Amino acid sequence: MFSYYLRLAMLSIKRNPILSSLMVAAIALGIGACMTTITVNYIMSADPIPSKSDKLFYVQLDSWDPNNSADADEYSLPSQVTWTEATNLMRAKKAVRQSAMASSGAVIEPPGQDAKPYNASIRLAFTDFFPMFEVPFLYGAPWSHEQDQAREQVVVLSQETNDKIFGGENSVGNSLTIGGNVFTVVGVLKQWEPMPKFYDVTTGAFNEPEELYMPFLLKEELELPNGGNTNCWKTPDGEGFKAFLQSECINFQMWVELPDENAEAAYLDFLNSYAAEQKAMGRFQRPINNRLSDVMEWMEDQEVVADDARIMLWLSFMFLLVCLLNTIGLLLSKFTGKAAEIGLRRAVGASKGDLFMQHLVETGCIGLAGGLAGLGLAYLGLIGIGTLYGDFAKNMTSMDLTMVAVALGLALLSSIAAGLYPTWRACNIAPAGQLKSQ
Amino acid sequence: MLTMNNITKVFRTDLVQTYALREFNLNVGEGEFVAVTGPSGSGKTTFLNIAGLLETFDGGSYSLDGEDVSHLNDKARSRFRNEKIGFIFQSFNLIPDLNLFDNVDVPLRYRGFNSSERKRRIEQSLEMVGLANRMKHLPSQLSGGQQQRVAIARALAGEPRFLLADEPTGNLDTKMAHSVMDLLKDINEKGTTIVMVTHDPSLAKQAKRNIYVRDGRVSELHEVAAFAEEESQTTAKASNG
Amino acid sequence: MWEIGPILRALMRNKVGAVLIAIQMAVTMCIIVNAVHIIVERKALMARESGIDEANSFYITSTGFAPDFNEQVTVQEDLDMLRRLPGVVSAIQINAIPISGGGWSQGLQTEPGAEHDGAYTAVYMVDEQGLKALDVELIAGENFSPTDVRWRERSQSDWPDQTIITKAMAENLFPDLPYQEVVGKTVYINDIEPIIIKGIIDKLQAPWIGWDILENSMLSPEKTLFSSSRYLIRTEPGRMNELMPQVEEMLAESNKGRIIRDPTSMPDTRERSYRSHGAMIKMLTVVMVVLTLVTALGIVGLASFSVNRRRKQIGTRRALGASQGAILRYFMVENFLISSVGVLLGAALTVGLNIYLVQAFSLARIEWYYLPLGMAILWMVGQLAVLGPAKRAADIAPATATRTV
Repeated sequence: MFSYYLRLAMLSIKRNPILSSLMVAAIALGIGACMTTITVNYIMSADPIPSKSDKLFYVQLDSWDPNNSADADEYSLPSQVTWTEATNLMRAKKAVRQSAMASSGAVIEPPGQDAKPYNASIRLAFTDFFPMFEVPFLYGAPWSHEQDQAREQVVVLSQETNDKIFGGENSVGNSLTIGGNVFTVVGVLKQWEPMPKFYDVTTGAFNEPEELYMPFLLKEELELPNGGNTNCWKTPDGEGFKAFLQSECINFQMWVELPDENAEAAYLDFLNSYAAEQKAMGRFQRPINNRLSDVMEWMEDQEVVADDARIMLWLSFMFLLVCLLNTIGLLLSKFTGKAAEIGLRRAVGASKGDLFMQHLVETGCIGLAGGLAGLGLAYLGLIGIGTLYGDFAKNMTSMDLTMVAVALGLALLSSIAAGLYPTWRACNIAPAGQLKSQ
Repeated sequence: MLTMNNITKVFRTDLVQTYALREFNLNVGEGEFVAVTGPSGSGKTTFLNIAGLLETFDGGSYSLDGEDVSHLNDKARSRFRNEKIGFIFQSFNLIPDLNLFDNVDVPLRYRGFNSSERKRRIEQSLEMVGLANRMKHLPSQLSGGQQQRVAIARALAGEPRFLLADEPTGNLDTKMAHSVMDLLKDINEKGTTIVMVTHDPSLAKQAKRNIYVRDGRVSELHEVAAFAEEESQTTAKASNG
Repeated sequence: MWEIGPILRALMRNKVGAVLIAIQMAVTMCIIVNAVHIIVERKALMARESGIDEANSFYITSTGFAPDFNEQVTVQEDLDMLRRLPGVVSAIQINAIPISGGGWSQGLQTEPGAEHDGAYTAVYMVDEQGLKALDVELIAGENFSPTDVRWRERSQSDWPDQTIITKAMAENLFPDLPYQEVVGKTVYINDIEPIIIKGIIDKLQAPWIGWDILENSMLSPEKTLFSSSRYLIRTEPGRMNELMPQVEEMLAESNKGRIIRDPTSMPDTRERSYRSHGAMIKMLTVVMVVLTLVTALGIVGLASFSVNRRRKQIGTRRALGASQGAILRYFMVENFLISSVGVLLGAALTVGLNIYLVQAFSLARIEWYYLPLGMAILWMVGQLAVLGPAKRAADIAPATATRTV
């Protein structure tokens, strides 16, 4: 029977080509608009590390100004930690894995006469950074804990950097001059681009990862400049780099890996007792207020999904609503026009169910066609957003299979939802009334 | 075959109730050819709709082919129409998008026959109305008489026990009307019970029995034993003039 | 004459179609009005001026890396060279660029002590040529003199003892004083360090365009030794594009112990900073246009259908003496009645969505006149859309009445 309904649907669609294409176009536009914005929102709110996003926690401690909280409300926490906290928490080592980190930059002088020096972005981290965030290696391996403590001048390169400097060869063991100091390459990453760049969203959640990775404590050793945001509620006591590090300025991020809720509770206890200790030493003069946020909570807290994307999502759903209302109206008209045929079919023995199915198949076909066309429009829409936003949206405008399935599903679902009322009306047409010629 | 006892049908609007049928009684036997006549508004069409299970009624009882159909639900009524009743309408009611084959196919689809059975029946019934060679044509490519033949083929394809015709020649010229009536008589000869509604007394005469409906009741019964061909032709002409 | 009664009664008998169009118009109006509101808001944001001579300014970064790199000497040489270059109006070393997204902020307060609140301001470290290079006008007090300008080390935390602030900042700090009287006042930075306000400039925006105190800026008479320097170069009108590569090459050649990178024009910076607003405006415009089209086509479709269904009725009316104008008017009035319900509902929806947007995304409220304007536009769209089908209805021949089917 399905193939029969399918054939009838095709005939019916062909019978009113303009009306039918109007309906397909309406659904396509609605779906296209929705899918474009859904895709952008989907990518923005994607879980960057699904395998363990609930085991990785961002650490916040309220070390802020006794007179003012860090942000709008009284319980707002500073979004980063001080050097003091970063190094103390690393020394305490109370989590399974932990890494304080910071961003920085320095001039690389590639080997060879012709190669021009250039400024490279640096991620300062502890070695746990790599296993914690499941960072894949192409060559070599992370540096060791000992190298972390010994502040050895070792470096891990991003794949792109390795391609650029060493032509993509295994460069492990080579030396590289960074910021005037000679480093040894210990590892090269495989292409790694978490979306969003969850481990540090301070300067943009969708930025590229850094080009170089090196031990965190080199910050102090080599007096590496601050990247990202630096916020201070109090001027450093004294002059010089050491004074800055010992100040209440926040420029560092702290991540810990905690395998279960017990570990999480234990770590929070540890943070609270740490804060109490600091209180005794005259710091942390605000009420004790520490927080662990897992990856998705942190993304939420940092409002990684842009307001504009959410506004457009809302508007596009309303847009789809208009398109569907449009389709409902057109379908109603169309099915009203078929009243005579429906009456005849009823007379010769079609049940309401038969007619319901027949018209549902017809609406489904229109919906599917609309969905496919909508998918094409969404593709164009994403290209459009890509051009409008340029490299801001570089990684935000590709659709995966899930999105394609969602698009078609949404199209089918919404067209059938749109078709339900007209279909119900159609199959409730009293057969007797339609059989007399007027 | 068809027994209606005290059937009542009321149309209600906000202001008035109109009785379309009141205490309507009728008995049609197996193999009969009955014409139901009466003036406009007498209740002919309501009768036909109720007889064909297209409409429900408000009082009385109705049994068809030995089964009480008064309280069947919509699905059962659809099934009943599909299997036991064939319809022929004044305006043919062919589906314009479907060719002749597919038009005749419509009731068979709902019957659930397999495709070879459907094909056999479609070809057979189109053969019977003399249009087997035009199966792929669309209704718009046929004359009115031919279209009505297709409608008859469609009504017959399911081999119903009972044929309901509503002014079957009303939209046809005399010659075509004549051949359509001949076809109906043929079908009746072969054993199918026919009830035909018409406002045209001369057409009614060609049936074996006449029933006259007025104000929603059966008011008179005419038994017509036989008919002459010449007579029918002249009356048909007269009625068309 | 206008047959409103009969039209209404006929509409009531076919409610669903009319209701669908009305809702469609309502939602369309709701989206369009809110979209226009957002567009106007964003356009206003984009129209704000940074205060500097954007069309003729660019900046470039110099980062030293060689062990023997002497930043102080290099900066002085670079500035001398740049200022002598034909076509350059002025060049300065500066720590941050207006509207670029990255910079420094500091709190200034009128009373010393950590317990007092202050007003935040963007900090631009410039020398005595700052006013000229930034193209800002000194509206009170004095400019820095060359001897005021000091060198600042990377981790140095104290401040020079004088500053020039924007008029907006002056009003923020001393709301009760006319800005002229703010000159000479002492304010405190880092809670207790006093600074004297030496001058007031008309306008200079901070680096962060999303800041709600965007015009709070201060100039600090300093040159920096942060190993990386940024130079802001203002050229004679129309010569920026020609000078950019020239400057880049000149700086790169003059000293091999550093790298010269990221020459960026101010127009590019503005485009980049405001790109998401621009993109939003374009997307909303597309949405509005397409949506209006969809709604209009929907009305055309439904009206055509209703005309076709009523062919015979229309023919009969014509046969009974209705003029073409009367038929046309019938459909126009019918649409107007439906539209009226739609736009009234639309006004309610519009306000509703706006309230939501205000709460969820801290958008501004819509101005009252957006509503009547939106209603009028939707009314017009409806009338235009129905015009075609109505004309076709009017063209139906009276003879249709006598034809069957």
